[in-house]
Amino acid sequence: MQTLQESTAQSIFDTDQFFSTFASERSWEPGWLADHRSDAWEKFRKFKESPLKDENWRFSPKHLFSLANIQNLSSGKDLVQLGAIESDQALFQNLDKMILDFPNELSTITEQKGPDLGATQTYCLTSALADNGFFLGTRKNAEIKDPFVIEHKIPKDGSITFEKNVIHIAPFSSAVVFEFINSGDSTSRGNASSTLNVTLGESAKLVRVLVQNANTNTTLHQFENFSLGRDSTLRNVTIHIGASHCRSETKGDLVGRGASFENFSLFMGSGNQLFDQRTRQVHSSPDCTSNLLSKNALNDQAKSIFSGLIKVEEVASNTNAYQTNRNLLLCNDAEADSLPGLEILANEVKCSHGATTSKIDEQELFYLLSRGIPLRSAEKLISLGFLDEVIEKANNEDLIEKVRAIIESKFDS
Amino acid sequence: MIQATEFDIDTEKGNFRFDTDYAFDAGVGLNPDVVRYISNAKEEKEWILDFRLKALDTFLKKPLPTHWATEDLKNIDFDVIRYYLAKGQKPSRSWDDVPEDVKNTFERLGIPEQERKFLAGVEAQFDSEAAYSNMKEGLEKEGVIFVGPTEGLRDHPEIFKKWFGKVIPTSDNKFSALNSAVFSGGSFIYIPPGVKLKQPLQAYFRINAENFGQFERTLIIADEGSEVTYMEGCTAPKFETSTLHSAVVELVALKGAKIQYITVQNWSNNVYNLVTKRAMAEEEAEVRWIDCNIGSRLTMKYPGVILRGRKARGEVLSIALANSGQHQDTGAKMVHAAEETSSNIIAKSISIGTGRSSYRGLVRMPKHLKNCKNNTECDALLINSESQTDTYPAITVQGEGNSVQHEATVSKVSADQIFYMQQRGLSEAEAMSLCVNGFVNDLIREFPMEYSVELKRLIDMEMEGSVG
Repeated sequence: MQTLQESTAQSIFDTDQFFSTFASERSWEPGWLADHRSDAWEKFRKFKESPLKDENWRFSPKHLFSLANIQNLSSGKDLVQLGAIESDQALFQNLDKMILDFPNELSTITEQKGPDLGATQTYCLTSALADNGFFLGTRKNAEIKDPFVIEHKIPKDGSITFEKNVIHIAPFSSAVVFEFINSGDSTSRGNASSTLNVTLGESAKLVRVLVQNANTNTTLHQFENFSLGRDSTLRNVTIHIGASHCRSETKGDLVGRGASFENFSLFMGSGNQLFDQRTRQVHSSPDCTSNLLSKNALNDQAKSIFSGLIKVEEVASNTNAYQTNRNLLLCNDAEADSLPGLEILANEVKCSHGATTSKIDEQELFYLLSRGIPLRSAEKLISLGFLDEVIEKANNEDLIEKVRAIIESKFDS
Repeated sequence: MIQATEFDIDTEKGNFRFDTDYAFDAGVGLNPDVVRYISNAKEEKEWILDFRLKALDTFLKKPLPTHWATEDLKNIDFDVIRYYLAKGQKPSRSWDDVPEDVKNTFERLGIPEQERKFLAGVEAQFDSEAAYSNMKEGLEKEGVIFVGPTEGLRDHPEIFKKWFGKVIPTSDNKFSALNSAVFSGGSFIYIPPGVKLKQPLQAYFRINAENFGQFERTLIIADEGSEVTYMEGCTAPKFETSTLHSAVVELVALKGAKIQYITVQNWSNNVYNLVTKRAMAEEEAEVRWIDCNIGSRLTMKYPGVILRGRKARGEVLSIALANSGQHQDTGAKMVHAAEETSSNIIAKSISIGTGRSSYRGLVRMPKHLKNCKNNTECDALLINSESQTDTYPAITVQGEGNSVQHEATVSKVSADQIFYMQQRGLSEAEAMSLCVNGFVNDLIREFPMEYSVELKRLIDMEMEGSVG
């Protein structure tokens, strides 16, 4: 899509002038952060695409994710809203506040890497220009039951926001994070690109649930990078219902022995929605477990791409790694692309992946129809039942009900 | 099974070589003159020369596919390869006409005397020309054509020209373009409507010159309602520098026809085996690829079936065995292009030592189709801790009532199993061998008997010294 960018030359990101203006407005930031931004900007500007086709973009209409036509950077400072917390066991602040008051806590972001699963250029741009986001850091041994709630708002009028989000779960502590992505209204065009870097210390526990219900004029980039320390446990549940195009890159690095990584995701698509999901489970330590489930229900002309890879390094003996992709086609025009992958370099492993795609089972449908349930409702019931396996992993009744209601209303509209 | 003792296959695979003088030699390297030389030596018509020259152009233009394939491809030096050699002899009719040194080579290859008598047709390829061909008169009476590509295109253009290069276009990939430019040797087969061959057709291949790439071209056309099984098996002498083997195999199964194509590949471990194989299946036709890869340094082979007619069926059964220094990059492609088509892929791989085996798959069902089905199973077995295995399937599904299932597992031989057998007096190596044979047994059973015996032996040989 380099050509598209060159031919239009309309992008605000095409000149270094843009970045120097941005940097001068944030001259109050510490020097190391300014350096980090300008390094990322350099990388973004110098990024050269390979002349060969990129496997990380296979099946994906890459031009739809181009940032070339974006006219302005959102100036909104309230796009990330943090819920109130009562605990004194954690530091929970938005990005600007962190930069001002706790810059040392943030200093690790200079070493953070993206998932690097294809949209690396956008990741660099996000690192350079992020002016929204949140930071959550727990104290050692803190067990925090109440969820930390973060609401992300998509900007309006074709503008874009860049977010940098950081979660540190200290050794032997646990936390629950709920994130919501919504648009201000149902029609306004908006863009967002956000990075999330999560580190879990020894025996730390995190449950993170994301519910994305942006309007269908939204283009999203989501970069999620998880680093799991020794014996830590992570459950990541992402629920994608909205957005016209969403590119989601998720990487789980099992760096500490005995870590456990669960990644559950669903996409309920209709209209012309596109969900482009790339995941990687990297086992670089022994005795780790990872389990990934990706479920997509597709109506109308919706399209989902699932591309996942389990990588087991030579040292990672006694690995258990699973990956499952299930696609339900509700309409003849819907499309599901599936690229499940394995790269195994160790031999004491149990690894498997499975991918299935099919339409609703005729017999199930007949059973419901014969009991007087109209076709549309029957399809809704079966789809909900199909997706519920992921929804219930959120493990919070209120949230589960809320998600079910959103999906139902999507069917009814 | 009893036959196992009757023929003695060469257990020192490839450790021999006979000096042969080559009547035609195009020298090393690749340029338009080499292509003209090959075409001239074969006394080909103008259109074939044009086809070759265009293909050469395509080959030079295309980049190596290293964005998804292994970087090892970069180690191929196309300038030191001999692209054409031949004995300068016409395919012989009887065994007596075959030169003594060639016979010697076949002897070492282990083609049993007994087998020769029973086989319906033997097309043994020595270097790039058919050295010996013996077809039973009965087959000829039925109208079966079993020739090399030169004779096929010269004597039967009305049959072969129509499909030549149509299933696999020249520009399909860099190596199909290379083959299209310099092809020599191979088999062109036509089975007339309704003819069902009870016995398989066979060809043995052999490479016997340093840095000599073998570029055979095979085209099998099974006319309506006919049935054929074709077998190819390879072994190559051991050489110091890398050798390139790049074949193109096209199968055409017309309405209701059945083709079964069996390959046992056992090139020596310095051969790059980059093969393009694809079949076209018309209405209610059935194509089955049975593929076994044991030798070579790098094999890249993804047999495919384009299911073009209603109710066509495609199947790929593959076994790959990667020992130290080997990369078996194999897989399957199923392109559903008509309604109610079905396909099945079963791939099993074994990685020994530092060997690496990869599965790459492609399954595509576009939206205008109904009721297509695919089943894919990939199982990998890792023997040593340095062994590697990868799986990269790509599945695209649209349309009504289409269903796809893909499953892959990776495992190792468990210590329990080995312990159990050691308790009963087997050595560790024997126990391991037994486990590996058990792992592939259900696929090996699909091979014709003599092949399955040979395969089991080859697997045993490969397993030697891998444990303990």
